[in-house]
Amino acid sequence: MTFEQLIFYILAAIAVISSLMMISVNNPVKAALWLVLAFIATAGVWITAQAEFLGIVLILVYAGAVMVLFLFVVMMLDINLVKLKEGFIRYLPIGVLAALGIFALMYMVLGPNNFGMDVTGEPVRFDANHSNTTMIGLALYTVHVYAFILAAVLLLVGIVAAIALTIRRRPPHEVKYQNIDKQVKTQARDRFEMIKMQPVKEKPVENKKEEDE
Amino acid sequence: MLENYLPILVFVVLGVLFGVGPLLMSFVLAPNKPDAEKNSPYECGFEPFEDSRMKFDVRFYLVAILFIIFDLEIAFLFPWAIVLDEIGLFGLLSMAVFLSLLVVGFIYEWRKGALEWE
Amino acid sequence: MNFVIPDFTPAVPEMVLLALASFILIADTFWSERYKYATYYATQASLVIVGLLILFSFTSETAVTFNESFVRDAFADVLKLFIILVSIGVFLFSKEYLQNHDFYKGEFFTLGLFAILGMFVMVSAYNFITLFVGLEIMSLAMYAMIAMQRDSAKATEAAMKYFVLGALATGLLLYGLSMIYGATGTLTIPEVKAVIEAGKANSTVLAFGVVFIVIGLGFKLGAVPFHMWVPDVYDGAPTAVTLFIAAAPKIAAFAIVYRLLVDGMPGLVVDWQQLLIIMAILSMVIGTVIALAQTNFKRLLAYSGIAHIGFLLLGFIAATPEGYSAAMFYVLVYAITSVAAFGMILALGRKGMEFDQIKDFAGLNKRNPWLAAMMLIIMFSMAGVPPFIGFYAKLVVLEEVIAAGFTWLAIIGVVTAIAGAFYYLRVIKVMYFDAPEQDTPLPASTRELSVGVSVYSLSLLVLGIMPAWLMAVAYNSLLM
Repeated sequence: MTFEQLIFYILAAIAVISSLMMISVNNPVKAALWLVLAFIATAGVWITAQAEFLGIVLILVYAGAVMVLFLFVVMMLDINLVKLKEGFIRYLPIGVLAALGIFALMYMVLGPNNFGMDVTGEPVRFDANHSNTTMIGLALYTVHVYAFILAAVLLLVGIVAAIALTIRRRPPHEVKYQNIDKQVKTQARDRFEMIKMQPVKEKPVENKKEEDE
Repeated sequence: MLENYLPILVFVVLGVLFGVGPLLMSFVLAPNKPDAEKNSPYECGFEPFEDSRMKFDVRFYLVAILFIIFDLEIAFLFPWAIVLDEIGLFGLLSMAVFLSLLVVGFIYEWRKGALEWE
Repeated sequence: MNFVIPDFTPAVPEMVLLALASFILIADTFWSERYKYATYYATQASLVIVGLLILFSFTSETAVTFNESFVRDAFADVLKLFIILVSIGVFLFSKEYLQNHDFYKGEFFTLGLFAILGMFVMVSAYNFITLFVGLEIMSLAMYAMIAMQRDSAKATEAAMKYFVLGALATGLLLYGLSMIYGATGTLTIPEVKAVIEAGKANSTVLAFGVVFIVIGLGFKLGAVPFHMWVPDVYDGAPTAVTLFIAAAPKIAAFAIVYRLLVDGMPGLVVDWQQLLIIMAILSMVIGTVIALAQTNFKRLLAYSGIAHIGFLLLGFIAATPEGYSAAMFYVLVYAITSVAAFGMILALGRKGMEFDQIKDFAGLNKRNPWLAAMMLIIMFSMAGVPPFIGFYAKLVVLEEVIAAGFTWLAIIGVVTAIAGAFYYLRVIKVMYFDAPEQDTPLPASTRELSVGVSVYSLSLLVLGIMPAWLMAVAYNSLLM
């Protein structure tokens, strides 16, 4: 076993174990943290497969941003842990059976018979200066420009959908909104008014009460 | 290419050791005599009144999802910045279109008041 | 770098639609306070503009651009025009409903426009990546549209179901696409075809890929056994949104089935034909049988839609160019018919009241004879009674499937069509022979709606009398 293979197996084992933990721990917050570990290990696997940019994006976007979202959702939902556990044991055999079945299928299709080294050939080994990011950049913004722009459309739809579904402005009588335009445009005369008025002589302060006291 | 990552690997392994080592040492070496009273939760000396978990406002979620979208946009900018010399004007314009679509989204969320808390 | 700047002209309708949708999205935040209907009219106007653009630049030549990720041919243009035609009806019927149920929002229209853009991308996809991204744009917009009626627990549940099952389906489809990519080493549909036909790809991997792709497509079409979401989503979603998801996306789903299975994998016809046969039989039988037991009109239409998808698949099973054209004819007819049928629910609904139970239709003939007559046309057309267009749709599909040698399938089709006629006729019986709960006249909620529904329903009759035109459109766009 070469050193690279050793690293691969360690990372793959971490990924598998942490995904198993992720689906079996009770606490959803802990599950999210196991998922982070699974993402990081997977990113490592991708980097060993020489897809460095994708590995880094996986950490940046998934382990960084998506996990924050997961945690918010977990906290937002106020999940009842006892209820969540109900039926776990009862459905476990079916779940294990389905998982094993899918594993067997995947092994048949993706296993060494169809995608072994002897079939696909040795992967190209890039030298130290090779940049995977450059390769992606060269293709993404020119050859795949249509898909690239569509990705922007997808993100835009994501923004619109998120806002349409969650924003709920309270009526103005409940909350005082700050109107910045109005504040900036305000002139001194809107705030401060000079009024001409006849001088009024103040009545002398009544001293009676003081005397009373 | 992979040899460039060797320092990072060493760094990760050392980092894990530094993080896990003290925890393990305190777990093994420190005296550990739990009893029912020590393990029971308390709030300022009282029994806890309610569950410590509470619902979060949905607005946190909105902020998080808007952040993710712009975070993804940044992820698209990295390779673009590296190859800008080679992809020329066409690449520049394709990124301009990409960004302008997200600016449309930005104007929309600004106008909708999604960036304001209240 | 040897990169040729792609030709943008074939994609002009998409670009214009995107620009207009973005403009309306921002403009809506300015308009919505002062001019209530501005967004609605702008949406309809943009659909008309894009439709005219497609119509005037219509050519029967195939243009492929963006490094083989976008294709524009007669097939794509015809489907896009019909998507626009159907969507104009959808928005027309939705306006009043949205107001009556207090969720008239500009986002309904802008998300709708983006969903239509996603459908366009799907229809014109010539590459697995763009096909997938188009599907996602459409689905994401539709999930949001269903959930937009936030105070309705039913709508939220429907959105959740649609989202979870839709995401699962997308995952399966993507899994299948990645297997095909693994086997062929290319993402471009014509290249996939070439590699498969050259026999260079591993057949085990291809077979598994096809299975996953067909399952994913089955989910999107709502074919049995992947139909669980259809009745619940149709029933739970606000009727305006149900109308949207029942009509135009079916055309887009038909397009990706065609692009993937026929354009991309004609070499694997034996593999996918068997799967489609199973799905078609189950869809026709289960859709028809369960529809018999429905009391809710939206659920009835959902199950009848499942049965219609079964018929649509018959055209693919025939696996001849004529068969695909028959399927295309079928999907166009189905889309128009379902716009008319759901439009009827919207037209007769009132503020705070849905007109979605079959018993609501009791004695409709006495309360509104004109719309009852329109409903008669819709139901007859769905049942496949001549001279309405639905008859010809069923006829051509059955003809092609017999011509391909699947007579037994055609017999199952005919039997389920006759059984299905029962529940359409029951609606007619309820309308014409049952006593109404109230005798008060029931005009459509607006004149606009009455006229709109009448136009769509009468077109079923007119097209039925002269089916040659639409058939020629479907045939020529595929056979040229």
